[in-house]
Formats: sequence, structure tokens, C-alpha cells
Amino acid sequence: MLENMDYKVKEIKEGVKLHLINTDKFKTNLVAVFLTTPLNRETITFDSVLSAVLRRGSQNMPTQEQISKELEEMYGATFDCGINKTGDNHIFKFYLEAINDNFCPQKDENMLKTSVEKLLDIVCNPLVEGGHFKDEYVNQEKENIKHIIEGKKDNKAMYAQDRCIEEMYKNEIFGLYKYGYVEDLEKINSKNLYEHYLKLKDECKIDIFVSGILGENDETEIEKNENILNLKSRTPNYIVSKLEEKKNMEEKQVNESMEVTQGKLVIGLDININNEELKYDVLVYNSILGGTANSKLFQNVREKASLAYTASSSYVRYKNNIFINCGIEINNYEKALEIIKQQLQEMKNGNFTEEDLQNSKKIIISSINSIDDEQDTEITYFLGQELTNNNVSLDEYKEKIEKVTKDDVLNIAQKVSVNTIYFLKN
Amino acid sequence: MQVIENLKVKEKLYTEKLENGLTVMIIPKKGMQKKYIVWGTNYGSNDSKFVVPGEQNETEVPKGVAHFLEHKMFEQENGTNSLDVLTSLGVEANAYTTNDHTAYLFEATDKFYEALDELMDYVQHPYFTDENVEKEKGIIGQEIMMYDDYPEWRVYLNTLEAMYHNHPVKLDITGTIETIKDIDKEILYKCYNTFYNPSNMTLVVCGDFEPEKLIEEIKNRLIPNKANGEIKRIYPQEPENVVKNEVEQKMDVSQPLYTIGIKDKIAEEKEKVKKHIAIEILLNMIIGGSSELYKKLYNEGTIYSMPSLDYEFSKDYAHILISGQSKEPKKVLEEFKKTVKQMQQNGINEDDFNRTRKMIYGGYVREYNNVADIARMFLADSFKGINSFDYLEEIDTVNLDYAKQVLDDVFKDEKIVISIVD
Repeated sequence: MLENMDYKVKEIKEGVKLHLINTDKFKTNLVAVFLTTPLNRETITFDSVLSAVLRRGSQNMPTQEQISKELEEMYGATFDCGINKTGDNHIFKFYLEAINDNFCPQKDENMLKTSVEKLLDIVCNPLVEGGHFKDEYVNQEKENIKHIIEGKKDNKAMYAQDRCIEEMYKNEIFGLYKYGYVEDLEKINSKNLYEHYLKLKDECKIDIFVSGILGENDETEIEKNENILNLKSRTPNYIVSKLEEKKNMEEKQVNESMEVTQGKLVIGLDININNEELKYDVLVYNSILGGTANSKLFQNVREKASLAYTASSSYVRYKNNIFINCGIEINNYEKALEIIKQQLQEMKNGNFTEEDLQNSKKIIISSINSIDDEQDTEITYFLGQELTNNNVSLDEYKEKIEKVTKDDVLNIAQKVSVNTIYFLKN
Repeated sequence: MQVIENLKVKEKLYTEKLENGLTVMIIPKKGMQKKYIVWGTNYGSNDSKFVVPGEQNETEVPKGVAHFLEHKMFEQENGTNSLDVLTSLGVEANAYTTNDHTAYLFEATDKFYEALDELMDYVQHPYFTDENVEKEKGIIGQEIMMYDDYPEWRVYLNTLEAMYHNHPVKLDITGTIETIKDIDKEILYKCYNTFYNPSNMTLVVCGDFEPEKLIEEIKNRLIPNKANGEIKRIYPQEPENVVKNEVEQKMDVSQPLYTIGIKDKIAEEKEKVKKHIAIEILLNMIIGGSSELYKKLYNEGTIYSMPSLDYEFSKDYAHILISGQSKEPKKVLEEFKKTVKQMQQNGINEDDFNRTRKMIYGGYVREYNNVADIARMFLADSFKGINSFDYLEEIDTVNLDYAKQVLDDVFKDEKIVISIVD
């Protein structure tokens, strides 16, 4: 595979990496900038307001209207930025996707160069007035972030998932809400936010990705970008994820009431492993448990007991947790919980077949095979490798999955314990 | 096979209508790992009243049958479930139901032809029993309840209820817990036999294929079947006016959700695509990212993000939807109407128009990045009588005068409704 794709990483200066993905499979070029910084209760709300303020304007494009107009001129390039919690890091993501020159009706465009310029301008060269951000922007975005934080409960399924994580990681960094806290907003002003920005810009880990049809001169062109040249060398301040020991705690049960028609059940599991390599076994374990339509959860909770429409599990690699998600009739809580626990026991007892194992591996390998069919997915994969200091190519990744045996999965099953059972009901 | 090439995106469509009436479309994408196939029937939640070809009398079935069928198609007589079989091949399989079509699909990077065996087998072999139909009611019941908890879904459906007096587009695709109670295996077989005839179906494949070889493989897997006659679908008479201009529902949300709806007439066959393009341009000019209105509403804190802008239409309905969150949805509506009126009176700014059209063009090009998106787009458009390439071909013909004409024609005060969930 990968005959159409070529991936290259280059450290431009200490702490700043350029990742080039040369691929001719798409109509678009995608430029993405990631700023990675440790999650922290003190700065989490600053981060989220900052990401919103940067979107408002740069020195060269001082208003949102102007940014929009220039993007529209670029055949509707899409730009967005957001913030994500990945392991114990907070990651700012900025991206700009524009169609490739080959598909522009006018032939004199250099869309890639323009894309890099515009995106870096927004990230590195924000609108500053009198030594601080524009007050109007900061105040408006504080208000916006407040709405987002308060809107957390609007999507009940997502809310239940977030709440389960909060309960599992009470007083821990990973339990923080990625958009921060309303009570912190009043501490933020245009001056201290700008100071926060300057510090972040000089200290965080920076990864710049460019994916698309890259010409011979593109690499040097990108490196000549003034905003990139002006970035300082740094020993990047971020958390390299490592395995944490899971303390054996008592199963926690949390019930919460809200106006819902359907109950949302989320179960957080701890996987207590001491070796990174075992994560491939966990991926297969999760797939057999609740990753596919063949999985134990889907088959038993949905197909046999007819209790749910959604019944699945997902593996959060960075923190070594599996989350089981089910939407059920509120009265069926006990019954659903019992069936789910049975499935965990079945896994422990080794009651899954060689066929289950092979099928799950096939599904995982198929998803690895298609990683380079989507620009964004591919970038996310390589960023993940970067942040975990792994250099597993897609081919190696597949080999590692191929090698997982039934015993390996059985071994994982013994290391799984229920941490928190969260139920949202009315 | 007919070959249609689009030079703007440099893609080709291979298409053929087979003897049994089935339409096959293949869009080759060299170098892609993923292969995506979707087989659809032109039968959706709107089709609950119809005349079976060869019969005299009308048949009316409970709401939600098309979706129920979608769930039940996977079950096989030999006791297997095709979703499981496909999953065990390592492919990702799924199905979905819309207002006007139902579709069965999978995406594979490997074992495509084994999976094709299963897909084409199960879609051509329904197996319903009293017991398996009864069991599904519990699962679908949970699906219906899940949607009840989505404020986005409620605000959307309420908009349709405000616009449509009788047309079934306003009803839940799933039906309700009440209507699905009455569904039994006889009803399912009757609808299957009527609508799952090849002449009512289209199969679309996108991925790295040799089209000539692929179409032979498809033909080999078709069971003998004859094209049936036209299915007469009966939709109630729908007046042009709306039911009410405002509808509100209380729900537990942090900020009100709103959808502004504009009821539209169905365009002439030849004009559909052109009109759709014009409406996309206009909506973006009125309230898109670079518009004066968006700037104003954002700066005064009335809205916090770009509303989503959609034009939904099928063969017998059409409407515009503008959705988002706002602390004052009625103000958004008022300002929206005001801006429309100003534009109608003062005309459309030419620079803004050209720039927005350029943006829409880029959006159409981007649709050709992903095999799944491409296949689903060609399928959905085909049931509207549209070849997806037409958007790229016709965009240049949408000029300022035409857009102005659409603006005056479609954006009429009395056709505008607002739905609010707060």
C-alpha cells in the first residue's frame, strides 16, 4: 500500500516539526497546525478562550469578515480551529483546506502557498492593539465560551460520557472539561490572555502538517514562511503519555437525573497493563467486546435482549480506558447492567471464539488500511505517533494487530476492572 | 455502459440501465484503498400510500415501514444475520432510510467480492417472521426514544410541521411507537415486493475498479427478475401556504435552538440544479460568514456561530432550512427578513455574488475527496432525477439576474416559519 503517499518529518528547529504528506489522492491540500501544551486547571479556560480569540482576526486580516472573504476568494477554503483534550495535553488545532491548483478554473493560483500563509498568519500573528488582544474580541469570546460550557448538557449522550470521565478522574487532570470553567472567565482579560498566548507560543510543542500534491519547491517555500522562521527554538513543554498504574478501586456508581426520554448508561473500565505493546491486544479485546456489530455487547444487549439501539464500547488509548455506551429504557437499567457485566465475565472466561478474534482483527486492519484515504485521519494518526514518541508505520501497525492471539486477549480480560458506572435518567 | 466525464474534477461516471431495470453507476477512484458500495431503492418514509403495479386499489401502510424494512432486511432464512456476516468479512456494513430512499451499503479494503455476494444476496432475499418482526419493535422503540432526546431533531421536525399541512415529509422517518405496533410481516412483504423491484433501484460503487469487470460481477449476482410497471405513489394535496409561522417546544437546553424554514415550490425538472445552486449562493450572501447580517448578529451576541444552511428537496417537496442556537431566535428571524427585503429592493452586489459563487464551486470540487461521500451523493441525487456532475457543469450558468429572480420568487415573507426549542 501507500504507493501514492510519501510521509516525511523534519525538525525545523527544536520543538517545531514540519510533517509533509505528499499524496495525489485528493482534490484538496490540507494544512494543519497543532499546538500541544499540558492540561492544567489554572490555564484550561485561558486556552479555550484563546483558541476562540485567534479565530477573530490577525494583523493582516483583522476581522472575521475579512478572513471569510479571503477564504471565499480561495474557492471557499475552509478554516477552523478548536481545542481538544488528548491524554493529559490540551491541543489547539488550526486547519485550512483549499482545493488544489489542478482544480482551479484559473491557472495562476498558488493555493498551497496562500493556505500556509493565511493559516500561519492566524496562528502566529494575531490582531494586537496597544500591547494586548482587542478587548471587544476577548469579551465576546468569553461570552461564547460561557455558552459552550453551559451547553455541555444539551447533547445528553455526550454529556453522560463526559460526566463518567469526570467521575473517574475526580481531582485529576484528565477529569477537566476541555472548554474550561465559567467561574474562571472573569479572571481573563485582553492583557493576561495575550501574555498567556505569548508564553504558549514560545513553549508549546508545534507540529505543522501539509498534506496534498506537493511540488519540488513546496518544502523550501514553506520553510521560508516568515511566521515559521520567526518561531523560537524551544524544549517543548508537553506531556509524553506513559502508562499509569491503575489503582484497584471499588466500583463507583453514579446516578444523575435530567429531562431525558431515554436513559444513558456509560461504564468506564480500567485496563491495568504495564507495557505499551499490550495496547494492540486491548484494541482487539475492545473490538470483540463492543467494537463491531458482531461484538458481545451489540449481540447480547441489542440483538438478543432487544434492550437498546446503541450498545458499544470504545478504547481511549492515551488513558487506557474502555468506555461502554448504551441508550436504554430507564426501567431496564438493572437488566442491561447485568447483561453487560456478564459479557465482561465471558471475556474473562475466554468465551469467545477464534473466529471472533480473526473477525475483529480484520475490522481493525481494514480501518488501518483506509487511514490514508482521508487527509484528516492520516494527519491525526501521525500526530498521535508524534505525541507518544512512537514511530509505528501503518504496515508495522497492521503486523502488530495480526500477531495478537486468543491468549493475548484473554490476558487483557483479566486486567479489566469496572471503575465507574454512570447512569443518566429522568 | 455510458461514460460521462467531468473535466473540472477529472472524474468519470460509468452508468448503465440493465435489462431488469436496475441502474448501475460506477465512479472509479484510482489509488483509494476503500471501496464503497451503496444499493438504494427509491422508497422512503414518505411512501406510505401507493398503488401496487397491476392492482387497482390503493394500499396504505403504517408510518415507519420503510425504516422497519431496512432493519429487517439483514435477517436471513438460514438463521444468519447479514450484518454479522459482512462484519466477519472485515467490512463495515450499514443501512439507512431517508424521506425518499432506503440504502444498504458496505465499505471494504479487502474481500470486496465476498462481501458483494452477501449484500446482493440479502437485499434480494427478504425473510420476515412474526417473531423477528416483533423483536425489532423493542430496538426501533429505543431508536425513536434516542431521537426524542436530540433537541436538534425536535427543532427540525417542528419546522416541517409548521410548513406542511399534509405532506408526510413532516413525519418521523422511523414512525412512532404507536404506528410501528401495527407493522407485521405481511405488510413488510407487500412493501418489499412493490418497492424492491430492480426497476425502482440504483446501485452505486466508488473505489479503485475496472468498471467493465465490476458490472459483470454485479450482473452475475442478480437473481432473475423482471422490471415491474410504474408504482403510483399517492401524496396528499399540499397547499402552497404554511400551517403556522411559529412553533415552540420546551426542552432542557442551555440556549434556545432555532430553525428558520422557507417553504418552496418544486422546481421544473430542468431547473432543479440551477435553482439549488442559486439558493446556496443566496443563503451564504444573506447570512454566511462574510455577510453584514452575520457580522451584526455575532457582534451583538445574538448568535455564536454560523448557522447551518440547507436546501432540502425531493420530487414533491422543497424547503430551505437555516439552523443554529441563539438567545433571541425571533430577532434572528426579524433581521433575516429585513436583510432579504433590502436585497430584494436594492439588488444583489456583484462582487459578493461572484466571490460566493467561487466558494460554492470549491465546495462542489471537495465532494470528490471521499469514496463514501461520492457514492452517497450520486445515489441521493439520482433519486431526484439529477446527475451529480450537473452541479459542476451548471454553476457557471447561474448569474446575477437568475439569482435575483430566485430571491424574489422563493424568499417570501408569508412562506417563512420559525421553530424554537427552549
